Amino acid sequence: MKRLEPLNWLFAFISLPLILLLTLPLIKMTLEPSFEMLIETILDKDVISAITRSISLSLCAGLLCLVMGTPLAYLLARKSIVGRRLIEGIIDLPIMIPHPVVGIAILSLAGRNHPIGRFLADVGIQIMGTSTGIVCVLLFVGLPFYVNTVKAGFESVPVRLEKASRTLGAGGFSTFVRITFPLTWRYMILGIIMCTARAISEFGAVVIVAYHPMTAPVMIYERFTAFGLKYSQPIAVWLIFISFVLFVVLRMLSKSIQPQQR
Amino acid sequence: MISLKQINLNLPNFALSDINLDIHKNDFFSLIGPTGSGKSLLLEVIMGLVPFTSGSLFLWDNDIADMPVEKRNFAIVYQDFALFPHLDVAQNIVYGTRYHGVSGQTAEKRFKRLVSTLGLEKIVKRSPQNLSGGEKQRVALARALILNPTVLLLDEPLSALDPLFHEEAKQLLKKIHEELEITIVMVSHNFPDVLYLANRGAIIRRGKIKQQGEIISIFEKPNSMFTASFVGMKNINPVYFSGNRLFIKDTNIEIISSHMPGPGIEYMGIRPEDISLKDLNSNIKNLFQGRIKEIASYGVFLNVCLKTGDFEFEAIWPRSFLRDHGLKNGKEITFGFHPESVHLF
Repeated sequence: MKRLEPLNWLFAFISLPLILLLTLPLIKMTLEPSFEMLIETILDKDVISAITRSISLSLCAGLLCLVMGTPLAYLLARKSIVGRRLIEGIIDLPIMIPHPVVGIAILSLAGRNHPIGRFLADVGIQIMGTSTGIVCVLLFVGLPFYVNTVKAGFESVPVRLEKASRTLGAGGFSTFVRITFPLTWRYMILGIIMCTARAISEFGAVVIVAYHPMTAPVMIYERFTAFGLKYSQPIAVWLIFISFVLFVVLRMLSKSIQPQQR
Repeated sequence: MISLKQINLNLPNFALSDINLDIHKNDFFSLIGPTGSGKSLLLEVIMGLVPFTSGSLFLWDNDIADMPVEKRNFAIVYQDFALFPHLDVAQNIVYGTRYHGVSGQTAEKRFKRLVSTLGLEKIVKRSPQNLSGGEKQRVALARALILNPTVLLLDEPLSALDPLFHEEAKQLLKKIHEELEITIVMVSHNFPDVLYLANRGAIIRRGKIKQQGEIISIFEKPNSMFTASFVGMKNINPVYFSGNRLFIKDTNIEIISSHMPGPGIEYMGIRPEDISLKDLNSNIKNLFQGRIKEIASYGVFLNVCLKTGDFEFEAIWPRSFLRDHGLKNGKEITFGFHPESVHLF
């Protein structure tokens, strides 16, 4: 075995508390509920629907990012558009805004007092207390993770390859489909994973826009305030477990196809 | 066939200014200049990848300035070859055929012909990452040539190759040009390559054309000190005229040149290989007594510094001279050059 240098020992020593901070609470929480309690929880219809809702709405936000965030990421990576830095700054905003503020901001626009809210209501779209509203919030908080990941992907493809494709007769659209996309779809999967992961964990903004229908984090909070720590933990364990499995599968999926690429 | 008229391109840190070029059908035309002179940029302007600020670009009599890249039927081979990493060699080669209405059979025929001409039979199923520089280049050439382009643009095709492939690639380019009767525009910074391959060309420096025309005339009659040193001229010195007689500045060394002294002449230059020993050539007019100051060996050639009085000439002689003429440092010799070899600019 390679011997660690004194500097590496020092750094490992300093990092240790951080690792413990991350792992200990999670391990403790995961091991605390009894097996019976876990089984009982997962058989609870409300729990199942909350977890399903959390994951499906988060995936929905991830897929919306794929559709709408990809073109945005491409423009930011490739074109020297005016105010690019400003747009990049705006995209990063959701990372630093307190989460309840996101919810409040969205509600203030979607309410009856605002023309946009009135228009949405007229065409039958309701934000407050609906799945639509939740997706809207999740998209808001997840977008930066998708756009930044996919932008890095586009930046990793040499412009010269796209130029070469154009010189061989392919138009802009063909070039994107035949060159750019095959070289970046892995980043898109990663982007969806990042965005979905961020969305699953969202609580503060969701609870403002939609307490019901209940997502898993809201339910965990509700059980905690109503019944205490013991009753909220099993749901948390299941949420973590299911999300973890989902992401592992997604990651493996993106690696298994064309493993020799790049 | 292709003419550039008064083309200007202003970028934040660089500009192409007043570019006028005429490329004829079947030319092997070379854009020559040092790194950063704008020659690759000019190639992308011709290709249509970089829009220019003002001027016009004609193909035959049609202004193609606004024609999209993919419609021009020009092909470019980049210095790094830009092969698509997710496609294998065969897929790379046929990539553009569908956009050029090349049907299955024709494409197949051309593919087979190119694969055999370029010796790619064994690698068609390989991925580009696993190819040598020379192989990559041949794939990139095949990918371009399968479309029967009007013009083939080559961006520094020889500089990214190992010395081993360099010579081979040079022969290949010559063969392609001769056998396919295709017009080629090649960017290069290596004048010996250009001299071997191209028939016409232009010297570019800092975004401006310094000289253009037949390569051989650029080689023999450089019109400026920059071009002269770029095409391998040495012994470049300021001169002055006294009456009709030519002298090297700050010396009383008189030089006889068969080229007409004209207005604006400030320098003379002599190729080092044009300086010879008196023993070998008795009718040279410019003869000097001197001695060998230094001999540097460059493999088959010797770079010899000759001193006459306080003035030095640089000559390149074959290695065999060491033995045949007993060259050594300090040896007294008589050397000279023909008036034809004295270039004035």
